[in-house]
Amino acid sequence: MVALTENVALATSPAATRRAPSRLGDRIFRAAALGSALLVLVVLAGILAAIAYGGWPAFQTFGPGFLTSSAWNVGREEYGALVAIIGTLVSAVLALVIGVPISLGIAIYLTQLCPGWARRPVAMTIELLAAVPSIIYGMWGLFVFAPLFARFVQVPVSNLVEGMPIVGTLLYAQVPSGVGVLTAGIILAIMIVPFVASITRDMLDQIPTVLRESAYGIGCTTWEVVRHVLVPQASVSIIGAIMLGLGRALGETMAVTFVIGNANRLSASIFDPGSTIASRIANEFNEADGMQLNALMALGCILFVITFIVLIVARLLVRRAKVA
Amino acid sequence: MTASSTPATVPAMQAWGRVRSGRRSADRALKVLATAATVLGAVVLGSILLMLIVEGVRGLTPALFTEPTPGPGSEGGGIANAILGSLVMTAIGIVIATPVGVMAGTYLAEYGRTSKLAALIRFLNDILLSAPSILIGLFVYTLMVRPMGSYSGWAGGVALAIIATPVIVRTTEDMLRLVPGALREAGAALGAPASVVIRQVTWRAAQTGMVTGVLLALARIAGETAPLLFTALNNNSWFSPNLMGGVPNLPVMIYQFALSPYDNWRQLAWAGALLITAAILALSIVARVVLRGGKSR
Amino acid sequence: MSATATVAPTPGASRADETAPVRIAVKNLNFFYDNGFQGLKNINLNFHDRQVTALIGPSGCGKSTLLRTFNRIYSVYPGQRAEGEILLDGRNILDPSIDLNELRARVGMVFQKPTPFPMSIYDNVAFGIRLYERLGKADLDARVEEALRKSALWDEVKDKLRQSGMGLSGGQQQRLCIARTVAQRPEVILFDEPTSALDPISTGRIEELIEQLRSEFTIAIVTHNMQQAARISQFTAFMYLGELIEFGQTTRMFMNPAKQQTQDYITGRFG
Repeated sequence: MVALTENVALATSPAATRRAPSRLGDRIFRAAALGSALLVLVVLAGILAAIAYGGWPAFQTFGPGFLTSSAWNVGREEYGALVAIIGTLVSAVLALVIGVPISLGIAIYLTQLCPGWARRPVAMTIELLAAVPSIIYGMWGLFVFAPLFARFVQVPVSNLVEGMPIVGTLLYAQVPSGVGVLTAGIILAIMIVPFVASITRDMLDQIPTVLRESAYGIGCTTWEVVRHVLVPQASVSIIGAIMLGLGRALGETMAVTFVIGNANRLSASIFDPGSTIASRIANEFNEADGMQLNALMALGCILFVITFIVLIVARLLVRRAKVA
Repeated sequence: MTASSTPATVPAMQAWGRVRSGRRSADRALKVLATAATVLGAVVLGSILLMLIVEGVRGLTPALFTEPTPGPGSEGGGIANAILGSLVMTAIGIVIATPVGVMAGTYLAEYGRTSKLAALIRFLNDILLSAPSILIGLFVYTLMVRPMGSYSGWAGGVALAIIATPVIVRTTEDMLRLVPGALREAGAALGAPASVVIRQVTWRAAQTGMVTGVLLALARIAGETAPLLFTALNNNSWFSPNLMGGVPNLPVMIYQFALSPYDNWRQLAWAGALLITAAILALSIVARVVLRGGKSR
Repeated sequence: MSATATVAPTPGASRADETAPVRIAVKNLNFFYDNGFQGLKNINLNFHDRQVTALIGPSGCGKSTLLRTFNRIYSVYPGQRAEGEILLDGRNILDPSIDLNELRARVGMVFQKPTPFPMSIYDNVAFGIRLYERLGKADLDARVEEALRKSALWDEVKDKLRQSGMGLSGGQQQRLCIARTVAQRPEVILFDEPTSALDPISTGRIEELIEQLRSEFTIAIVTHNMQQAARISQFTAFMYLGELIEFGQTTRMFMNPAKQQTQDYITGRFG
């Protein structure tokens, strides 16, 4: 401990003993920080460059037709991205249609209805949904959800709509196994819910209490406060949160690979199996070589472009919401 | 209303019950649906955990932790090699991502508050944070697996590092921004160079939050499957110490075994799924508890 | 108009010594914020050795801005700049060749809110010493004790030097920050409203402490509280809208201000 020394005399000239800390260390530290930050840029550019490089031969061979062709024939070396692009978009849109209302409901519950003591555990439960690995969602979707879905939804609905125009096509399961584009959409919906819900909750929490209280003060019901005060205030951020969820749904791989059925053909029914860009890459990449590999890389390139446009829009709207 | 029945009270100006029933039912519907949505979320989580326990607990045998994964058609076996491989690659990932992420987050928060370059990096980091992990797998495949001519644990670790880094960058920056500027000024006022203030004062003040960031990044990469498919792949034996060739790991093992025709493989997949989910959920909970403990101090 | 101010300085508390050598000489100082706003307009002012000089004036008058030029702490924020001269013992500290870190070791600063670092009490005090001097453990211990004694904190913390500085009360934290500054043996100490976040008792202790520190250090203090300026300073500078309105011995400033604006401010008519 400190020695007891009384009345230590002041140095007469402190400047004489003073030795400035090295500036070199300061410069090295700053350079290391900047270098690390630049690495983020380099990696992102590297991802685009690597995938574009890998996919280039496919784009060159098939031209713009790559985007519009539904062929995927390894034997004849004919590849087109249409089936996977449609599968990706449809499953992601289904995920939004199902997931967004649930997310908003949870955000509203957490910010408006939930009693104080339950807020933390309930919020934690929802956040833990985001921590579950996607492969576990895939297993749950395939082994738990799909059989129930086949039995209680696909079979009855298919029987009901059989022969009807339009819905008879859209909602008819040729093989009611439970897997398919809609199942993938539902699993994706569950996976994006925690992200969209927690960002929306943060946005609702940021709205000044006075605003909410004055609305309640003139006799508004909770529904009216949410509908006319909270949602308009937070709408831009909420749309951003939804886009962020869309970005996740578009690129999700493992869960989708388990439940989408991995079919290479186009089907009009959302009960039928399909495939997404990510699931096709996951399924075929390791066995692929030659043009198939290039075609898969080209698919990755398309996914990159789609998700990055969506994510850029999302980030511009959310403006630094929270770690998602 | 009964306002006029007792003469002593002032009669109500208007009768109660003026809230139109339409407003009431809309309000009630909102409350019911919002609550139902929350319950649904909880039910799904509960159902996932129940599934893992029901299917996975049976597989929790001592052999699980001592034996490597069995070949096709052979009996028994464990997942010791996959557990070890996952630990090694996750460790490589976090060991690379932590310094890079912390330094990059420090740059954004301490040096680049007003710079355009920092704003761009901040934006792109947020994009990278949500980028499809399978694309990162393709990137590392092109960058490492192809040139080296072999799948490897190094490639797997690098892919995981690329996923973990933006998480750490983001939390580090957020946590450093919460440190009051007065503390930095006080450090500078003592004649400490910026790097000393950052290392000895600012980092220390933000320490808990930054540790949470690393824990969250760890939870995030521990279960990642897609980026490992094309980098580390998997194999059914012990891996070589130089990590070259396919390195077994839990996520890819689960993926391959869960969809296999062999009962013992599927059982191993369930046991692995239970272990990895339990570990990740525990990590996430610990991270949140650490953060909360740090805040209340 | 009566010249009697409502705030009278305690007689005898401030024996201003105008013959004391000039430690800091401010010459034609102008200061600009990053948005182009001019925070200081042509300031000329001397700070005398081992005297307390108080800077007073209404919010936004530039008194803190002026204080923050003396250790150039403003340069933590890009875009802010000072023009003119500030001579510390004859050397212009606004010169680009000045080593900022060393300047700050010579000119210490205590802030409005206590800013203990997230480390032990001992490490807080030793922080500044370690930056500039390599001392053995015994020497360092002695320096830490000396600084804590000078800051009237030693008796309260001597048994818990290894505990976190964040666990102290507000007043103790502020004295810890003073100890941290004193430990570096600066020539000048700047106080930026050091008691505005403290209760009256803690404020009293800090004021006593400043009076004691005067025997060793040249002190400049920004304060909102005119009684405080009257109690602890020998010289007072009154600033308004970025300009130095009046400067002189505290006794004279409060008893018989030369300018109407000063009179109005110290009698509480505005500000």
